[in-house]
Amino acid sequence: MSKAKAGLLQGTLDMLILKALFLGPLHGYGIGQRIAQISGDELKIEEGSLYPGLYRLERRGWVESEWDVSENNQRAKFYKLTRTGRKQLIIEEQNWERLASATMKALRAS
Amino acid sequence: MSLIKATNRFLHAWRYPDDIAREVEAELSFHIEMRTRSNIGAGMDPDEARLAARKSFGDFDEVKTECCEISRSLPFNSTVLKMGVYLILAVLAGGTALVTVNLPHHNLSGVLWQLVAIAVLARAFIVGRRSISTRQFPIGIFKIKRERFHNDKVFSSDVSEKYGVGIAAHDEQGRTPVERMFK
Repeated sequence: MSKAKAGLLQGTLDMLILKALFLGPLHGYGIGQRIAQISGDELKIEEGSLYPGLYRLERRGWVESEWDVSENNQRAKFYKLTRTGRKQLIIEEQNWERLASATMKALRAS
Repeated sequence: MSLIKATNRFLHAWRYPDDIAREVEAELSFHIEMRTRSNIGAGMDPDEARLAARKSFGDFDEVKTECCEISRSLPFNSTVLKMGVYLILAVLAGGTALVTVNLPHHNLSGVLWQLVAIAVLARAFIVGRRSISTRQFPIGIFKIKRERFHNDKVFSSDVSEKYGVGIAAHDEQGRTPVERMFK
């Protein structure tokens, strides 16, 4: 996979994680489920790739984590959006919309 | 995560790498456990469900290693790091100056400590001067050294050609100016 393609995918995954967490705190597995749910099962990501993404986002200060008890009484690490993460999500959404509309415009040009 | 929290986490990751590895492993195992349960709920038998869960997860060890590495990486950008180093240097130099002034100098150990303090101050002064002259923070020492080496090379060849100084490193027979003087 080329670097540019990998970068684009990683950026997109970051945005999807932020979006999934916008609706409330979740553990890693829950984030994967929510991404599938909000995309109408159109987006299938390799589940393991979520975690490096989550760690990177945490390092940037866009999400924070803490250990808690899950719905089936197991210890799980829950992630939630920080204030800077919310701001970043808005920026990412705007960038994505601009890119998508520009690409569509280019594709529809005759 | 605030800068303090991020720094604490970073230091903890370096001090207790096993703790971080265990934490990451627990988190990833929880994911596989949840996926296995979901697969069983969808009608798979337990062994098949676990195998499918591991397959859909990808390379467990690779993900674990990557997560541990991210935890151990610096939690802030290099500018903040440079500022931090600069601050530490300033505090060190200030502290050393205070120690130097207040040390008793009538015994040998006092004199030795004063010498050490003076050496630290001198080093701080040199690094500070370099930083100011190159508009770089002290962490850029390596960069400065590399640039200087590069500049030496430039002076011995390119500059002489450009300005016609006549100190070209090698003549047409491959001899250096020193070799030319003695042969």
